[in-house]
Parts: sequence; structure tokens; C-alpha cells
Amino acid sequence: MRLRVLLLLASLVAAGSTPVLAHEVRPGFLELRETGPETYSFSWKKPTGGEVEIQIAPVIPKDCQLVTPDKQQLTPSAILVAGILTCKGGLAGKTIFIAGLDGTITDVLVRLHHSDGRLESHLLRPDAPSVTLGGVTTLLERALSYVQLGVLHILLGVDHLLFVLGLMLIVADRWMLVKTITAFTVAHSITLAIATLGYASAPLLPLNAAIALSILFLGPEIVRTWRGETSFTIRHPWVVAFAFGLLHGFGFASGLTAMGLPKAEIPLALLLFNVGVEIGQVGFVLLIIQLERSFRTLQVSWPRLVERMPGYAVGTLGAYWTIQRTIMLLAGAR
Amino acid sequence: MKRTRTACLTAAVLLLPTAAQAHLVNTGLGPFYDGVSHFVLSPEDLLPVLALALLAGLRGSRTGRLALFALPGAWLIGGLAGLALPAIAQLLPTKTAVLTSITFLALGALVALDARLRPRLVTGIAIALGIIHGYLNGSAMSDGRLGALGLVGIATSIFVAVALAAGLVASLQRPWTRVVVRVAGSWIAAAGLLLLGWTLRPEAPRHQATSSALQQQSATARILHEGG
Repeated sequence: MRLRVLLLLASLVAAGSTPVLAHEVRPGFLELRETGPETYSFSWKKPTGGEVEIQIAPVIPKDCQLVTPDKQQLTPSAILVAGILTCKGGLAGKTIFIAGLDGTITDVLVRLHHSDGRLESHLLRPDAPSVTLGGVTTLLERALSYVQLGVLHILLGVDHLLFVLGLMLIVADRWMLVKTITAFTVAHSITLAIATLGYASAPLLPLNAAIALSILFLGPEIVRTWRGETSFTIRHPWVVAFAFGLLHGFGFASGLTAMGLPKAEIPLALLLFNVGVEIGQVGFVLLIIQLERSFRTLQVSWPRLVERMPGYAVGTLGAYWTIQRTIMLLAGAR
Repeated sequence: MKRTRTACLTAAVLLLPTAAQAHLVNTGLGPFYDGVSHFVLSPEDLLPVLALALLAGLRGSRTGRLALFALPGAWLIGGLAGLALPAIAQLLPTKTAVLTSITFLALGALVALDARLRPRLVTGIAIALGIIHGYLNGSAMSDGRLGALGLVGIATSIFVAVALAAGLVASLQRPWTRVVVRVAGSWIAAAGLLLLGWTLRPEAPRHQATSSALQQQSATARILHEGG
């Protein structure tokens, strides 16, 4: 049984998710720095500029008072709020809650720099939107949180997974699959690094439209493989994977750069976030391969319509996202 | 050509965004993902599914294939019934935790014994398991947070889990590998037994412990008070 037959499930996962859900994994960042007794500098970065407005805000503990200037700073990808936080008895033992986080698909990184040099770092998620401060996170804990963020970013980034699925539908054999996935990995690692280190950046709306276009591009190529035809993409899918991988890398970077990481920790965060992305990606590919093997063992035979459903899912969703994101891009440009 | 057109239309209808999908953005990971994570993080659902997949896999490809479609399908139907009629769950003669622990105790034991059941019987067990657990899932979800899309997420996860586990077990050739599967079944049965014992434990000792702890606390408070 051909691989594409057995990728039905992956397309079901993609279909079960929502088009507007794709690529909305933009983390927030809350940084607190102890500047004096019971006094902290406060910096809140809320991601913005994506397809859906994220309504999240930190809730200050009861015994604390925040003084902020009247104006918020607006950047192309985030709203920044800075201020001075004073807390009776300090922040130890007090709970920071991110209101609205449970209604999103994003994460918030909370970092507390103590005056004695200790660093506390927590990754808040929709299912755990609060944290009680006081402990100090070790380097290992911080490293794990970056890896976790990378894994979540790819697993919840349905468009990235759909692109990988489309590549898997085109490749002819396992060796070509290894080459193609490696090319995609190398390419997105390059642009992820470039964007995270600040050498280049891509505006979010055109980027998302281009990523959608890369998925749509694979649709007709999949149909060509069904018909037994050939093309440059079918002969050399790794080249296409590399080219579009460069785009997807900028998309991954948006998940990391929106945090506004401290400069000293960027190399570590970049490396581990990328490791997390690769773990998620390899896990997805292995899951599909293992499913193929299982279906073969269980001698499952699919109707032709079901067999082709994954290919149609890639093409249809790619087309839908391209149209949707182009309209948003044009609306944003006006 | 006609076939392709039909496929395109089907895919388009299935994949077109709806109001329900737009709602996903405001509900965390979306009901579909919530359904997937619910299944993966709920041992009371995961373990019996795993046990049934191992049982079906031990009985060969045909049984595995039947279970692959019967279990998620029945789970979905049971879940939809639970969403529609959640009140029936309250009429059950026993606690749901007892019911679920009995199912994975029994299924684990069947795997451990390498019970030579006919494919139809295994399929029947799969349907019964799917209907019962699906119904319990559906009635628990009837508050509207996850809904039908959440159930689709659960059913999809079950489909994947059964495919992976049954496919793997059905492919095993060496005798010792089947022993490993039976050992896994015995662990599932043991977990079911432990959960059953925990669920049916008498309540009285807990109250005694609590009251003795309270007495101790008040004594400590008295000492502190007197000391102060």
C-alpha cells in the first residue's frame, strides 16, 4: 500500500483543526527585574499583528502596584508595556496570572531577575496560566522549556505539518524522504537563526501568505504523482523543500523572536527551540511511517477516494489559507 | 474524471471552515486538539484502548483490522449519545470509575492470558467498550466545551493508537515478543485492580485519619498558644 494512502489520518488531523488556527503560536513575554527593595522593573510584550488578536494580560498580585507611563509602545509584532512594579514583601510567594491565556493557543514566558543575580524563568501555557514566584529555575529547566516550546510550535503549527505531509506524499522512496526532510530542516534552521539573531526579518502577514502558498504549490504536484507524470519537484523534492524551508524558518522564528529574549540567552534558546522543532517534526514523520507499516500489517485496503483524501487536504487547505491570508494582507495594506 | 470531481467536492465540503471551526481560536488548542490531549492524558481511557489493541493484535491481522474500525466508530457513536442524553449516566448502578477500572482489569487479564477469542467476539468487545467509554466521555463533555469536534479528536486518537499497537503486535513473529505483550497486559490488569481497590476503599479510615490529624493540630495550636 502506498504511503499516501496511509497518510489519511494526518489529513484528518489537519482537517480537524481550523484554518484560522494555523500559525497563531505567538508567545508573550513578561520580564521582571529587581531594581531595589520591593521594587521591580516591569516589561510586558504582547504579540500582535497576526491573523487573530490575542487578548492576554498579566494580572498583578494583590499587594503589588504597577506604575506605567500613559503610552504603550507599538512595534510591528508586539505591544510593549513598561513600568515599575512595587510589591509589599517582594514577589517571593506571589502568583502571577495571565488573564485570557486559557482561551488562546499561545504561551507566555515569565522571567524574574533577582537582585542577587538569580534568574527565575517559567513558561505559562493555556492549561497552566499562572505561576507562584519564588523559586529559581536552573539552566536545565530553562533549556527544557525552550525545547518544549519548539515541540509545541511545530505540533500546533498545522501549516508546517501539512507542508511536511505534502512532501511525504511526493517523495518516491525512503532515501528521498530522508534527503527531503533533511533539506527542509537545514533550510528552516538557517532562516530561524538569521531571524532570531536579528540579521533579517519577514513581516508576519506576507510571510504567512507565502507559507500558505508553499502548501498550495504541493497540491498539483501530488496530483501529478497520481497520474504518473513527472516534474522538477517530483524529481528533486529536496530542492523545493529547501527553498520553501527558508520561508518556514522565518515562521518558526516568529515563535521565538516575539518573546524578546535577553541577548545573552539567544544562542541557547535558538539551539534548543530548533531541537524542539526537529523533535516534533521527526516525531510526526515517524508517526506517519509507523502508521503506514501498521496499515500494511493489518491489511487495510482503502477506497480510492479515501486514498486520495490527504492530497486533496493539502491542496484545499493550501488554497484556502492562501486566499484567506492574501485578503488579510491586502486589508492590512489599505 | 467524475470520481476525481466527487473527491474534490467531498474534500472541499469536509475542509471548508465553519462557524464551529472559527470558534476554535478562542478555546485554547481547539476542541479537536483538546479531544486528542484528553485521550492521551486520561489513563482510564488510554489503558483499555491499549489493552483491546494488544488483544486484537495478538489474534492477528483480521481481528486487528476489525477492532481498528469498530472501536473508534463505536466510541464516536457512544460519545454523541452521551452528548445528546447526558442524564442517563446518573442512572448507572455503579460509579463510572468502577466501570472503567473493571473494563481495563478484564481486558488486561484477557491479554495476559492470551485468550483465543474469535474475531467477532473481539469486535463485539470493542463495540461494547467504545459505546460505554464513548458515552461516559460524551456525557462528561455535554457542558459544551468540547462538543462533537472534541469527540472526533478522541476517536481519531483511538484510531491511531489501535493502528499502532495492533499493527505492531500483529507483526510480531518471535514467541518471546508475544510474552512481552502478555506481560504488558498483566500490568494493565494490575493497574485496573489497583484502581478498583482504590475506588472501592472504605471511606471511614480516611475520616478517622482526618479527625486524628485535626486533634493533633489543635493540640499543637494549644501548645503554641500556651507557650506564647
